[in-house]
Amino acid sequence: MEHLNHIPVIVATLLVLLAPFCAFLLAASLGERNKSGLLATIAILISLCAAIFVFSQVWQGETIHRSIRWFCIGANEFRVGLILNNLSAVMLLLVSAIALPVHIYSMLYMKGDPGIHRYWMYLSLFCFAMLGLVVADGLLLMYMGWELVGFASYLLIGFWFTKDTAIKANKKAFLINRIGDLGFLIGLALIYTQFQTFDLIALFGEQGLVKHAEPTPHLTYAGIAFFLGAMAKSAQFPLHIWLPDAMEGPTAVSSLIHAATMVAAGVFMLVRISPLFDAQVLLWIAAVGAFTAFMAATIALTQQDIKKVLAFSTISQLGFMMAAIGIGQYGVAIFHLVTHAFFKCLLFLAAGAVIHEMSHVKEKYQLDFDPQHMGYMGGLRKYMPWTFRLTIVAALALAGLPLTAGYLSKDAILIYAFEWSEWQQGIWKIVPLSLLISSGLTAFYIARLVFKVFYGKLRLNRQFRRSFHLHEAPKGMLYPMAFLAMGSLFLLYSFNPLVFEDSWLLKGFEKTASLQRMNIYHTVVPAAVNGVGIVVIFIAWRWYARRKYPLRRLKGWLYQFSEAQWYANRLYEMGVVKPLLGFSRSLYAFDRMVIDGMVDAGGALVRSLSQAGRWLDTYVVDALVNGLGYLAFWLGGQLRGPRKGRVQYYMLSMFVVLLMVLLLGLKLV
Amino acid sequence: MTMNLVLFYLLAATAIGSALLIVVMQQLVRSLFLFFLTLFAMAGLYVFALADFVAVTQVIVYVGGVLVLMLFAFMLSNKTLLNDLQQGTKGVFTTLPKGQAMLVAALFLVVFMAMVNQIAVNPPVWIAEARANQTVIQAPDHTIHHLGVNLMTRYVLPFEVISVFLMMTLMGAAHLARKENKTP
Amino acid sequence: MITLTHLLVVSALLFTIGLYAVLVKKNAILILVGIEFMINAAILNLVAFGRYDGAGYGGQIFALFAIVLAAAAVAVALAIILNVYKHYNSIDPDDINDLKD
Repeated sequence: MEHLNHIPVIVATLLVLLAPFCAFLLAASLGERNKSGLLATIAILISLCAAIFVFSQVWQGETIHRSIRWFCIGANEFRVGLILNNLSAVMLLLVSAIALPVHIYSMLYMKGDPGIHRYWMYLSLFCFAMLGLVVADGLLLMYMGWELVGFASYLLIGFWFTKDTAIKANKKAFLINRIGDLGFLIGLALIYTQFQTFDLIALFGEQGLVKHAEPTPHLTYAGIAFFLGAMAKSAQFPLHIWLPDAMEGPTAVSSLIHAATMVAAGVFMLVRISPLFDAQVLLWIAAVGAFTAFMAATIALTQQDIKKVLAFSTISQLGFMMAAIGIGQYGVAIFHLVTHAFFKCLLFLAAGAVIHEMSHVKEKYQLDFDPQHMGYMGGLRKYMPWTFRLTIVAALALAGLPLTAGYLSKDAILIYAFEWSEWQQGIWKIVPLSLLISSGLTAFYIARLVFKVFYGKLRLNRQFRRSFHLHEAPKGMLYPMAFLAMGSLFLLYSFNPLVFEDSWLLKGFEKTASLQRMNIYHTVVPAAVNGVGIVVIFIAWRWYARRKYPLRRLKGWLYQFSEAQWYANRLYEMGVVKPLLGFSRSLYAFDRMVIDGMVDAGGALVRSLSQAGRWLDTYVVDALVNGLGYLAFWLGGQLRGPRKGRVQYYMLSMFVVLLMVLLLGLKLV
Repeated sequence: MTMNLVLFYLLAATAIGSALLIVVMQQLVRSLFLFFLTLFAMAGLYVFALADFVAVTQVIVYVGGVLVLMLFAFMLSNKTLLNDLQQGTKGVFTTLPKGQAMLVAALFLVVFMAMVNQIAVNPPVWIAEARANQTVIQAPDHTIHHLGVNLMTRYVLPFEVISVFLMMTLMGAAHLARKENKTP
Repeated sequence: MITLTHLLVVSALLFTIGLYAVLVKKNAILILVGIEFMINAAILNLVAFGRYDGAGYGGQIFALFAIVLAAAAVAVALAIILNVYKHYNSIDPDDINDLKD
């Protein structure tokens, strides 16, 4: 089915993919000379332009699917190709649109770093992998992209590999991702044994095999397995522990990978294979998502490191997206993914600018403090006005206040969640309720962050008894941030700032279950959420901006629990790591004592056998031979008598003869 | 079991026993003195064969002559000879020829026993004739008388020959045992 | 009754002992003693058989002669032993082995 009018689109898609890949190869071959990131940035720019073209052609058009044969095993054929539907187009555009500002920002942020040539290489590799992942037409190809994205993340988290914490973090991230990959792989295997194909259209399309298949337990298991993969990649409880540690990487990396794109891959993958999930699995997804959202929000309340607050915020928002999938609203989940990508990336870049400035101060004045710790910040509004303003935009979007994009997507999730809970058993009301509470907590913690960092007085001054002067972030950093800020406002998505159903983005995705529009929810929920949000922001302002912190006891039980990230890491260490290490130690001891012991025993046996053989040879064989010699010697000695001249010997022989004669005589007689 | 038999066995045991002891004993002097005993026992045995004169001659000549001669020769020689003689044999029981000698001696004994047996079973003719003719020597006979008569009539030639021979040996022995003149 | 056999057995035993002594002993004088034993055994033999010669008393006569001859032999032998000692300084017959091949 070669449609000639699709060739430009295909070519453009390939260009989107190959531009960063070529940048990667060139960067690898150039090595240390690739100091400015011009190569990578231009490649991404090309990708973006091509992606815009592809989007324009594909959005709300027919699905384009092209594949060629890759390899055969027996009668099974494996193909590789592209699939371009609404979801692919949106993701292509999003990834390249977020990647470009990050590249430009990185040129200034990473300036002077000794390993910068590696940075551009890895970044290009990541972009290629992510873009490939979103247009892959088969589950196997998607898995390859999935793995590659995880690998690029590993490389970038451990970018400053001389730091011990960075190395531990990237190992942790890779291991946890591996658990998820295991789930993905099991799902792949189950799908293949059931349907003998990996092709997405064939499986999940309109006439898809999955849709028309009988509901067997294997499909449920496959669904759970794929969800496991998404849990690891999108940092859901309990596989979320790698994301806070992933903040060891450069902030630009955190913004691109661990906020906007890679972690969203899990959500994307679930939407891609959405027909696979039956009601049980979806309930489970919703529950996990809601719980994660709540948990991460509570932890973010007490974190002191600016990047950790944002990391937990990311986990929480991913929980929102998962909950949206769980309630069957895939379009809403993607919508939130897109808006979250913009404002979270912006938040990270702003945090990066602040950290950049604090590090400058640290180096210039040779001080010793953690530049990421909010306890040293404050009053940066005076020094970094534009950073402050852009942060406000993003913070409002995260909190979900009206006129922002976040308001549209988050309220969509909340409203649909409430409507959905009407059709479930009573206990499932907890899902929308926890989402509601999480929204309130979200508003609080982001307000806390903004007030602690930008309001009040610079606590660094008080700490070191000096008056420091900070600079605004350079223009090269501010322009990309401004671009992202524009994506955080409502205008990009809908002309109506208050009603989300008018969003063109949502119109591109089918609604799985057309829930009865319960008007009550559509008005009460947004009002409640926003009301709570405003109250909470006011409280945060009083506490952090005005420094009227009422609670004396900072070390209360709940505070401790939250700050220690719900002791998740401790539990993992005691429950998983220690037993595993103990098991491997016991195996090593077993190997050394039993197996080596057996080998040594075999050797000892052979040695003792050889010793027995030697004894035998010495005492038996040699004795025989020597014995014969002695016999001959003795016999000779006996017959030697006459030679000695002994008289008695002569007499003896004489008598012997006489005896002979007598004996003979007697016999005869 | 008459007195005769008991005495005979006693004498025989003495003779054989002392002979064995002489052969086994290490020291020479004791052996020689045991020889005494043997010779006396032999003399006793001769009496049982009704040869009383022979017995007495044995005592006079053998014991009184031969044995005393040996003793004198042994004791009157110089000190070094005495010591060497005193040393006696060393390690008799370990030398190998002892086994062979034992074997030969035992075989000889076997031969003798066979002969004795044969004679006991089948005595020679002349013994039977003698018994028949009553010419066996009896205890009450005058042996000396008969011996003297026979010595001078029937066996006068061997008698003379033995005398000459005796003189020769004596002369020869004396010559052999002369003291050498020490050449300066 | 002391029969011929008794005496002959004693004589045989004595002769054997004398033979053993001659072959085994490492002392010349003891060899001589062995020879004497043999002679004594022969004399006993003569006397035993002589009992049956009442006519000629041959056994006893020759027994007398044998005793005399034995004495002579001893005398000469002792003289020889003395001479041998003077020459070899030893009376061990094993040391007198100049006749060896």
